[in-house]
Amino acid sequence: MAATRVLGSTPSICRACTRVSKPMARRGYATMSNDIYDVICVGGGPAGLSLLAALRANPVTSNLRVALIEAQDLTKSSVLSLPPSKFSNRCSSLTPYSAQFLNSIGAWSHLQRDRIQAYQEMQVWDGVTGARIEFDWPTQGTEKTIAYMTENLNLTSGLLGRIRELGGVDIFENSKVEQIQLGEETEEMDLRSWPVVQLSNGKTLTARLLVGADGANSPVRSFAGIESRGWDYGRHGVVATLELEGEGWGGEYTKTAYQRFLPTGPVAMLPMPGNFATLVWSTTPANAALLKRLAPKDFIAVVNAAFRLSPVDLAYMHSQNEGQDEEYQWRMQHTQTNPRMLPQAVVGVQEGTVASFPLKFRHADTYIGERVALVGDAAHTIHPLAGQGLNQGQADVQSLVGAIEYAVSHGQDLGTQMWLESYNSERYAANHVLMGVCDKLHKLYSVESGPLVPLRSMGLKAVNALGPLKGFLMAQASGSGAKVI
Amino acid sequence: MKIAANRLRSTCTLQATARLAPKVCAACATDQSRRFSSLKRPPPNYPGHVPLTRVERAGLAIGSGVMSLINPYRHDLIAALGEATATPYFIYRLRDAMLADPTGRRILRQRPRISSKTLSVEKLRQMPPNSVGRAYIDWLDREGVSPDTRSQVRYIDDEECAYVMQRYRECHDFFHAVTGLPIVKEGEVALKAFEFANTLIPMTGLSMLAVGTMKAQERSRFWSIYMPWAVRNGVRSKEVINVFWEEELERDVDDLRRELGIEQPPDLRTIRKREREERKRMKEMQSHQR
Repeated sequence: MAATRVLGSTPSICRACTRVSKPMARRGYATMSNDIYDVICVGGGPAGLSLLAALRANPVTSNLRVALIEAQDLTKSSVLSLPPSKFSNRCSSLTPYSAQFLNSIGAWSHLQRDRIQAYQEMQVWDGVTGARIEFDWPTQGTEKTIAYMTENLNLTSGLLGRIRELGGVDIFENSKVEQIQLGEETEEMDLRSWPVVQLSNGKTLTARLLVGADGANSPVRSFAGIESRGWDYGRHGVVATLELEGEGWGGEYTKTAYQRFLPTGPVAMLPMPGNFATLVWSTTPANAALLKRLAPKDFIAVVNAAFRLSPVDLAYMHSQNEGQDEEYQWRMQHTQTNPRMLPQAVVGVQEGTVASFPLKFRHADTYIGERVALVGDAAHTIHPLAGQGLNQGQADVQSLVGAIEYAVSHGQDLGTQMWLESYNSERYAANHVLMGVCDKLHKLYSVESGPLVPLRSMGLKAVNALGPLKGFLMAQASGSGAKVI
Repeated sequence: MKIAANRLRSTCTLQATARLAPKVCAACATDQSRRFSSLKRPPPNYPGHVPLTRVERAGLAIGSGVMSLINPYRHDLIAALGEATATPYFIYRLRDAMLADPTGRRILRQRPRISSKTLSVEKLRQMPPNSVGRAYIDWLDREGVSPDTRSQVRYIDDEECAYVMQRYRECHDFFHAVTGLPIVKEGEVALKAFEFANTLIPMTGLSMLAVGTMKAQERSRFWSIYMPWAVRNGVRSKEVINVFWEEELERDVDDLRRELGIEQPPDLRTIRKREREERKRMKEMQSHQR
């Protein structure tokens, strides 16, 4: 693209839209503020922060006037104050594609690298039949990372660090969005199609483009009148930080992620630096409630059992209120396992990290409206079994920044739907397919008995044996494959 | 070195993973991990265990099946047939049915055995009249049998499943006592039908073939009375494998029948006796007429 520069260093508010450029509009703290921004991002999670960092880092869009609205205190997430042996329980798996994007906007260097764990192998198996699929990159060439396990706090604090380094973002933290309306027509300006955000501290901000990165119950989405359709899975995701007996079978430099599909939902153990791992277990609400109230010894036994014992034994252990440790010891004497194909035994759980959140499937009807765009969980909510949710958000941000960059470099109004359309068309179908696949996998593996069980095991073994197909699926999941949709 | 080891693992374990996949439960887990020849058998998993190849197992099933039809007194062949046909799936399903029930789990933990050594006959005779223990000893006396040691399980590979089979075999007499069926062929086949509906052990289903060797009168009785009784009760009653008989000995037997959901079939010995008497009378009448 030709090196286009926005004219001078004046705020890039299109002259045609304002009659008089009010000098007061430049300052962010005037009392009778009618602050007008080019992009206002509601929500300071990974998607919102990524968007702002990308806009500021990109030379084409770096002169846009941007703001961030966040309901919570950002300083809490901006300093990762945990010691090296303690990890937050909300972790996500970043694909190499997302990591590359974060690097390109300059945020990757701000993440605490020693708290990120790259893993090179993935073992996934069926809890009923034991049919297994192994993911690791083909042996030719150097060893390739499948994904990076990162704490969400690490990611957000790294992004905030980059934003602070770049500067130029007006941050409104501890501010809830009270109301969003369309503006009015005055003598100077016609803001009837511009969203006006009213904050809890009384300020009003007007946006050329209002981006909703505000999570599954997005107020921006309801303002835009966009419906979000889907269903609840009737499952909760239980997370915890675990300590294992060792650094993994492959040692410090070859880490493996494990996932077992139980009839109640998949249980996954993802490696973290050192002897630690993070647990993500999608299970029924009753089981989740039990797991949260178990004593550490029994909780550890149930987690170990989840990867080793049969569904019958697990169902029994879920009906006990205590004593699972002893039950586990007895059943392990009568269960044949191959330890090398399972995660190493859990020996400890970090206090206070056992928590759960409900799982659901939601997809907004569209990602854009007039002067509105949705990214991240505001646009779509996916089942965590493939670890794709946060990566979808990052890809959304990348695409939206591309659309904004295109509009700005062609001197157009970046908020109009015409210029946001490329974002919607690029991301909607791809997200929909991925969410659909994860949903069908969840439904397929929820079946405990019947003819579907041997069929799905045969299918899994077949995919495991077909190298090219497996490589294709891995490339698609990591974002480095050919663009199919 | 780690990279090399990893490459080796990737190329070699694709087939190995299927074979060494953790054997976790019933339904479709086929034990593919032991392909061996008769010349080189793996070590036994428990005392008395004889690992069989697939051909040997099939041969044992066919041979013992045919011979036990010809000579139903060969209880050892019936036992062998049961063991040879229990895998895959069926014995695992039964073991899981035990694991799913709290009493069944206790039985698997404690591994009680029933024999004339563990059950004292004198104590059973002293039990209250309508108790389970008394019904059991009364039935033993009526039929003239004892809780003798049944043959040991030898041909089931998994050690826990071998115990499940052994337990089933030893509880068989208790099933007789609770249902009241005698040890004549007719009674045994009726009880096997009930057991098949309840435990799904293939040998009990295969025993239905013995109906072909029964007399016409017995066969018609079986189809009209005992088969419907067996199916109705076997399907709707609780899993009889989960009954901890040693703890239920002093309990009222009708109470136990009610809890399990078993109703007694028409008393077979009485029917047969009546039939024999009627036949004798008919013969006498015929001989009088001449």
